[in-house]
Amino acid sequence: MEKKLKNLEEECLKAVIKAENLEELKKLEIKYLGRKGKLTLILRGLKDLPKEQKPLIGKLSNEVKNTLEKAFEEKKQKLESAGIEKELKKEFFDTTIPGKARKIGHIHPISRLQEEVERIFSQMGFAIMDGPEAESEYYNFEGLNIPEDHPARDMQDTFFIKGKGDKKHGRMVLRTHTSPVQIRTMEKYGAPLRVIIPGRCFRYEATDASHDSTFYQVEGLLVDEKTSLGHLKGILAEFLTRLFSKPVKIRFRPGYFPFVEPGLEVDFSCFICKGKGCRVCKHTGWIEFMGAGMVHENVLKSGGIDSKKYQGWAFGFGLTRLTMMRHEIDDIRLLTSGNLRFIKQF
Amino acid sequence: MYISLDWLQDFVKIPKTQDPYDLADTLTLKTAEVESVFDESENLEKIVAGQIIELLPHPNADKLKIAKTSIGKETVPIICGGANLKEGMYVAVALPGAKIRWHGEGDPVTLEKTKIRGEKSYGMICASNEIGLDNPEEGPEDILDLSSIKPNPGTPLTEILEKNDIVFEFDNKSLTHRPDLWGHYGIAREISAIKDYKFITLKPKAKIPSTGESVKVEIKDYDLCPRYCGLIINNIKVEESPSWMKKRLKATGHGTHNNIVDVTNYILTELGQPMHAFDKNYIKGKIIVRRAKKDEKITTLDDKIKKLTEKMLVIADHDKPVAVAGVIGGENSEINNNTTSIILESANFNAASVRRTSSSLGIRTDAVQRFEKSLDPNLAELAIKRAAELILEICPEAKIAGPITDIQKFNKNPLKINLDVQKTKSKIGVDIPAEEIRNILENLNFKIKEKEKNIYEVTVPSFRATKDIENQDDLIEEIARIYGYENVPTSLPTLPTKLPEENTERFKKHRTRELFSYSLGFDEVYNYSFYGEKEIKNCLLKEEGHLKLLNYLSEDQTHLRISLIPNILRNLRLNIKYFDNINIYEIGRTYKEIGRYMPVEEKFIGGAILKKGRNTDIFYEAKGAVEKFFERFNLQNIEEVKGIKNTPYAHPSKSISFIDGHGQTIAKVFILHPTVKNNHELEKYSIAVFELNFTEALKLEQPIKKYKKLSKFPGLDIDISVVIDRARKIKEIRETILETDNNLIQEVTLFDIYEGENIPPDKKAVAFKVMLMAQDRTMTDEEMAEIQQKIFKNLEKLGGKIRGK
Repeated sequence: MEKKLKNLEEECLKAVIKAENLEELKKLEIKYLGRKGKLTLILRGLKDLPKEQKPLIGKLSNEVKNTLEKAFEEKKQKLESAGIEKELKKEFFDTTIPGKARKIGHIHPISRLQEEVERIFSQMGFAIMDGPEAESEYYNFEGLNIPEDHPARDMQDTFFIKGKGDKKHGRMVLRTHTSPVQIRTMEKYGAPLRVIIPGRCFRYEATDASHDSTFYQVEGLLVDEKTSLGHLKGILAEFLTRLFSKPVKIRFRPGYFPFVEPGLEVDFSCFICKGKGCRVCKHTGWIEFMGAGMVHENVLKSGGIDSKKYQGWAFGFGLTRLTMMRHEIDDIRLLTSGNLRFIKQF
Repeated sequence: MYISLDWLQDFVKIPKTQDPYDLADTLTLKTAEVESVFDESENLEKIVAGQIIELLPHPNADKLKIAKTSIGKETVPIICGGANLKEGMYVAVALPGAKIRWHGEGDPVTLEKTKIRGEKSYGMICASNEIGLDNPEEGPEDILDLSSIKPNPGTPLTEILEKNDIVFEFDNKSLTHRPDLWGHYGIAREISAIKDYKFITLKPKAKIPSTGESVKVEIKDYDLCPRYCGLIINNIKVEESPSWMKKRLKATGHGTHNNIVDVTNYILTELGQPMHAFDKNYIKGKIIVRRAKKDEKITTLDDKIKKLTEKMLVIADHDKPVAVAGVIGGENSEINNNTTSIILESANFNAASVRRTSSSLGIRTDAVQRFEKSLDPNLAELAIKRAAELILEICPEAKIAGPITDIQKFNKNPLKINLDVQKTKSKIGVDIPAEEIRNILENLNFKIKEKEKNIYEVTVPSFRATKDIENQDDLIEEIARIYGYENVPTSLPTLPTKLPEENTERFKKHRTRELFSYSLGFDEVYNYSFYGEKEIKNCLLKEEGHLKLLNYLSEDQTHLRISLIPNILRNLRLNIKYFDNINIYEIGRTYKEIGRYMPVEEKFIGGAILKKGRNTDIFYEAKGAVEKFFERFNLQNIEEVKGIKNTPYAHPSKSISFIDGHGQTIAKVFILHPTVKNNHELEKYSIAVFELNFTEALKLEQPIKKYKKLSKFPGLDIDISVVIDRARKIKEIRETILETDNNLIQEVTLFDIYEGENIPPDKKAVAFKVMLMAQDRTMTDEEMAEIQQKIFKNLEKLGGKIRGK
């Protein structure tokens, strides 16, 4: 009996090793361990054994049963994972089909840049101000040291509003720059002051690929007891460096804007060629970028700030132009066209 | 403004070693922007005179010829198609290596030895425009004919055409505040100060007699004319100017006329002082500088009749105006070929007056450009003496009739300004030594006296004292620019102790964009702030309440918008060519006339959803977008009301308004009015629109959301479907369900509305999901069934019939 069990164990284990698939294994399992299986039959015969043999054979047959069950389980797992492996290799799955996009809209490129500009200046302690777009001649010109008949008014071809005007404010215009908000801010908050004013401006000039009657500017103003051109340079260099995420240098040139003195034209080192000269910077290494300068005494006076105690600087640059430069947009009119084939690109 | 290097050298000793491009850069960095440097010889490099010895037909091309051309030492074959080619003709030959523009267009290309249709060609015979010359007499197929000059073949063209000057082009805008720089003399003085090159002061040598005939001048208005110098010169012979003068005038962008007119232009370009010459024969009596009489007229030099006003200053004789002062001369006293006697005028006119006159007459001249900058009255005298000198030089028979008439009334006291050295350093941000400050100013012809420690009394030279330099800041600019902006060290101001106020509106505007674009799938557009009468009409709006532009660029930009929608509808119209589904919005201002000086500017969000064909869902999509906005900022106490006010472009019944606690309309959602849709040729589309008053919305309370305890017990969903009158509002049905048991019913969500087959025509089937949950226990099936029955009963009271009951 003992031998019979041993032989059975050996025979079964060999067969299990040979089994090639789950089906075969299942058949084997039935053959040996099933209700009418070989081992089951033996176990059933136990009751006929002599009393003294019963415990020994009983123990042995249980051991054999466990061994075989374990063997079947192991083989089963092996065959199953082999099957998955095989499946994994067999199945064709094309990963090159384009991703399915969830439908989202697009934010206008000027808005996006404006937010970045606001964020950078906020980090440097600048408040963001706002002012009216339909503005009085006083705030747009006189208050900024641009009297009537001043040649500088030529630089700012102006839209006028019909039938509006009084002694105090003059006629009503669409602001030609964001600078009027300088005075409004000074009047409201006094010194010291550290603000930027991004906003929509208007010029009465013929429209072409690089000129539009509507455009966006960012004005900056800092007024304090001691602040200098050095600080202006520092803030602008820091701003541009953060904006372009690479070091940018600033160059000052004399320029003329009636509301600043000294007046400056500000160039920055070309971010494309790093100053070596390329098409974008017209081979100068510098990109003409903005007007700036120390706030004119008369402007501080207009804003009600004591020019003996305080001094300040201001700058203004074209957000529209910067947007165009950034995305290499070659026609300014696209920005106000409402053309979705354009907007959807950003 | 064009400045010739050759001309500059009359007044400043610029060494030969000075690179003109570097000089231009220095001027750009310290004075004013030099936009370009034009080397006249640049386009003519490797271009020489040639003579065509023999013309042979090209074997492979009918229109081309082989021109055997002498270029000095040798004769070479050149393929050419010039229509005016002939043997013996003198031509311009571009040799291999020369840079030319094909037919005068595009970027220059470098010429090489080549074969054209199989025949060798050694260079090219050029047309004027191919080598940067302008020759209006040349036909389109012609080449440049040099036969009138007969140059020796091989002679460089630069020599033949005397193109050897270098011309700087200044940006006029950057000279706005520098009346002293509007001529070569002033630029030379500036270069001398910056580069420390020797300045050569102009001292005209013409002998002015102390007796003889002088112009009689009367100035009626010294405010508008502080100085008038006049001089009579007789025995004039009007003829062509000498070539040296023509060359300089041409180089600086002037046309040439005759020797007298050219002299006045020459002075303008040299000294920046506009001058005028009258034919003395046509001047009756004395020169009177007066305001024009009402309705007085003048025919100007360019043959146009201009009506004058009493605000304008004229130069007149006894009978008539002969010039508009500082603007343009009159035709009646123009220099002509028979002129023998002239009156030279060199005057100073009030800048604002000249500018006003110029703009109201619509005449801009070189003279206006200079006078409007405020010229130094002292310049008038130097200019008239220099003019006399030049006229005597180019017209030696001419005779000065007598002394210069010089009528004047202007302040000759020099302007003095105190300069605080400490303040100067503080504003520039550099510790510039006091001595250096002094040197800089003295080099620029300012005079310095030390008043007390660190305070200089600065005397401004007269040519800088007219508007340009007025106060300390102006002096600080002089110091900063000459010291060099590049030497100002970069530094950052310390952060302020008082932090700035936060602009929450700006912040929320950006968040709103993210919501609309990145969550709700709308595209952001930008539109002009204007529209025109057509848009007003198309949107059934009224002109009333609009601000109108006095000057406008086009008929569709005449009014300031009071709503964003008209332009948004235009956007839809534009985009349907490419898209069947459009979701757009704009955040922008509206401008409303309310009878006060300042109009009301409000920020709005306007948006539209467009779908092709019939679609009723888009109204709810638009409504949903607006509701999401409210949810995003947790805006409270907004009531939805059916109908809409003051919105003529909205469908009167397919519209709702959202009203806040003060009765202010925060938002409107509507289907576009069918007429408006037709007006925009959008009949084939369904369009829902929303308008959201961003300014007002953000005034509403935006409380922080409070946390609600999460129930430990599971909830149950039951679906309820009811057939009910079509006219019964969903809001009412929903509330009926909700109010059945306020404790246990957590949420009632509409998930279907059905009309049509199997439902009577005046009914609709509505389905809701009802969520039940108790905070303190797991609800039993019996409880659930009880509530369900209650709901059924309530709905039946509304006239509903429960489906599947």
